[in-house]
Amino acid sequence: MPMKGYLYLFFCCLVCCAACNSNTQTTATPVAGYDKDVLQSVITTTDTNRTYPFVEAQQAKNNAALQQPLPVLLCQDSLNQQQQLAQLIALSDTVFTRSVRHIGTGEPYRCEVFGVYPARQTDMAYVQTTYNLADCYRIELYNYALNTTTTAIADIKQQKVLAAGMQPQAQPDIPLYLKNLALKIAVSSPEVQQALGVQPEASAALMASTKTSLNRTRCERSGHLCVAPTFVKDGKALWAIVDLTDYRLAGVRWTNTGTTGPTQGITEKKLQDDKITACFCDQQVSINKDGWKMDYMLTSSDGLRIAGVSFNGKPVLQSAKLVDWHVSYSGTDGFGYSDAIGCPYFSQAAVIAYEPPKIAILKEDNAVAGFVLEQTFKSELWPAPCNYNYVQRYEFYKDGRFRVSAASLGRGCGNDGVYRPVFRIAFAAPQNNFAEWNGREWTAWEKEKWQQQQPATVYTTEGYEYKLTDNTGGGFYMEPGNGRFKDRGRGDNAWVYATTAKTGTDEGEADLVTIGPCCNIDYRQGPEKYIEPAPDELLNKKIVVWYVAQLKNDNTKGNEYCWAESVLENGLYVTRSYPCFCGPMFVPVK
Amino acid sequence: MKIIFFLICACLLNVSCRQQQTAYNGNNCKLIPPFVSRIGFNAKNAYFSTSEKRTMGLVLLEAVDPQHLQAGVVKQFQDSSWKKAGWLAPIQLDNRGNIFTGPAPFINVLNNPAADQNTVYKVDGQTGTMAPFVQLPRPAGNTDQNPYGIIGMAFLCETGSLYVSSIAGSNRTMENGCIYLLNPASGKTEDKLTGMDVLGMGIAYAEGENRLYFGKARTPDVFSVALGKNGSFTGKPRLEFSLSGMGPRGDDKVRRIRSNKEGELEVYGMEFNFNLIAPTEKQESVYRFIYNEQDKKWYSAN
Repeated sequence: MPMKGYLYLFFCCLVCCAACNSNTQTTATPVAGYDKDVLQSVITTTDTNRTYPFVEAQQAKNNAALQQPLPVLLCQDSLNQQQQLAQLIALSDTVFTRSVRHIGTGEPYRCEVFGVYPARQTDMAYVQTTYNLADCYRIELYNYALNTTTTAIADIKQQKVLAAGMQPQAQPDIPLYLKNLALKIAVSSPEVQQALGVQPEASAALMASTKTSLNRTRCERSGHLCVAPTFVKDGKALWAIVDLTDYRLAGVRWTNTGTTGPTQGITEKKLQDDKITACFCDQQVSINKDGWKMDYMLTSSDGLRIAGVSFNGKPVLQSAKLVDWHVSYSGTDGFGYSDAIGCPYFSQAAVIAYEPPKIAILKEDNAVAGFVLEQTFKSELWPAPCNYNYVQRYEFYKDGRFRVSAASLGRGCGNDGVYRPVFRIAFAAPQNNFAEWNGREWTAWEKEKWQQQQPATVYTTEGYEYKLTDNTGGGFYMEPGNGRFKDRGRGDNAWVYATTAKTGTDEGEADLVTIGPCCNIDYRQGPEKYIEPAPDELLNKKIVVWYVAQLKNDNTKGNEYCWAESVLENGLYVTRSYPCFCGPMFVPVK
Repeated sequence: MKIIFFLICACLLNVSCRQQQTAYNGNNCKLIPPFVSRIGFNAKNAYFSTSEKRTMGLVLLEAVDPQHLQAGVVKQFQDSSWKKAGWLAPIQLDNRGNIFTGPAPFINVLNNPAADQNTVYKVDGQTGTMAPFVQLPRPAGNTDQNPYGIIGMAFLCETGSLYVSSIAGSNRTMENGCIYLLNPASGKTEDKLTGMDVLGMGIAYAEGENRLYFGKARTPDVFSVALGKNGSFTGKPRLEFSLSGMGPRGDDKVRRIRSNKEGELEVYGMEFNFNLIAPTEKQESVYRFIYNEQDKKWYSAN
């Protein structure tokens, strides 16, 4: 199962914030003047996939084709005898069928003949032999896994292929049956029905009352075959992007048609980037759930930031965010990157968000214990080498605990990498004290300071290393990642820094530019600049906790960590990822 | 993101930037910096780069085969001053062998602080030393949304005019970019086109006049503006064509433009979204456009 290492975790029932106001637990104020069509667009993530009987029937045909000696689904549109003969001639040609299986393993790719057409003179440019054009046909074969098109020119009189060639990242015109399938997926999708205001059982009326056409579109990021059934209604056009590789709706968005139809096509990337920017970069969203209240939004370079966090009415955090990911590789001295994560447009992010944040139920011992707020940031070619995938996850428990965490899902530039995420956690109370457990008692830090979690570090029996108490007598124990959070984390080996939030000086509350270099292997990860050279008093001060975990990746079979790879399953490439979660848990002081 | 892969070997190899049907060699004055030979490089095979992996700043390289750069390099050189401005992007030679360049952040802004991103740097063709040349004005406002400043350069031989595009100060809602016409000797701003975020530029001769062709940073559209006898902008910019829907990405922005020997425009397109994404493999497409004298329009030749 793809991503299984990731999804084994203890939450379920993902609730996707697909529209700015889609979740009853959240509210948002649109930025004045923002395009309403963008705000109301919907990105359907893979977590919300659904299937239909007609899709299952098609998948059964695909699976049957994959079992054949020549794993190619024959053209599903009706062909005359000449076209059928041309198809057979082409499929007998080893050059034409060279890429229907993985060269190394022999595993089949999902391939399909999309069309067999009478050849045109322009198709014959590379044909060297004599031919009669009326006897020639052009056969187009699409490889879903590689997103390539192979074309053959077959002469049915000579019974041979005259020319064959492959085009990478190219998609032929789709056959009629796939057009119909795309339409069925679109009209069956609740997102489309909701946008058009037609009930699910009224799909026939829907088609009668609207002009429908099939626009070309692109799924640039997934590299999938996509089309866009477009429904024109009341002078506007609803683009429904349908992914025909996965047979799912990728998203919907209205556009203005004017008098000559939509002026600019909607693609997967445009849908995603516009939506994320409008709904989560240009405005903050509020949550009120399980006693927790907060605002969240995507930043330019500090990931998903939460702010104004309170529990049962009591302020807890001023803000929390993830400032940088420092990635260093031991194979080459000083080689690595300082990656910022953030918004897709107009940002300082090297790895961007293009799926909406998710709010998920958090389960503990099979009972609902709270909720999770989670955001993924991805390089577009992940999991290809030197591409990255980072997840930020905030966990909020009904009993007042909370955890600020994150994970790398690989894959990076090598198997000798160390990821060092830099968290900034600013507490709300104006007066706090920060103490560490020395094995016998809590010892207050009197001045700003940092300390590294090590094998010799002592914890309380509960696993706490630090305690942060405020002037009301409340506060939190802090439990660093130590392999106890049941998320397959192996321990954080973290540096913890405690600094004061100084009045009139911004030490990272606003969006921070790159705080430190990639490749320092000691405490100099950035936060120390707010401590050195003269640490300030810490007692009874507003405190910011900085937390820098250290996560060594591993690609050893069966022991993967901070890693991802593509595997061929059922004729398509899917991703298996092995996240390395880190981050501290905060437990209320009773 | 290292958005610009400004190899200038094309210029060193005497590739023209003007259309063939008029005066092909007209914009071919760019001189190989004299210091290149002096430090022992074969000038015919030498080129400058700001996009060498793991090497910040400007680098001089000598290719094994200048026609096939992938064949490797014989040697490379970096003066200590060439990395003082952090990561760089555009490279532009003038007719005296001076090199003009500008900073652009790569993956992060650690070596490219926002305040320095609107400074044109000049490498003296005689000494090979790089120093700040002109500090272009920087619009007020924070730089959270846009870490870039100078992003494109072009040079018109006929008038000795240096064109520099900057997108400093632009954000999601405000297009504050500008094309500056600089005097390459004095650094003085002689003209400017404001209110446009422009990425790549190039000069071509069409309809009896020099025109500056440029790609917008926010859209795949390519505009042009006529250049007067002194190189200044005359008339209003006009839309020439768009890369929308073309190529593997469909929304490429223009990295640079050059006219080839056939008088076609070669437009180098790439992804650009005002962020610091850095694809591991250079994803760039070259689009060719042919000018139709009948209707005076450019048409895709791809």
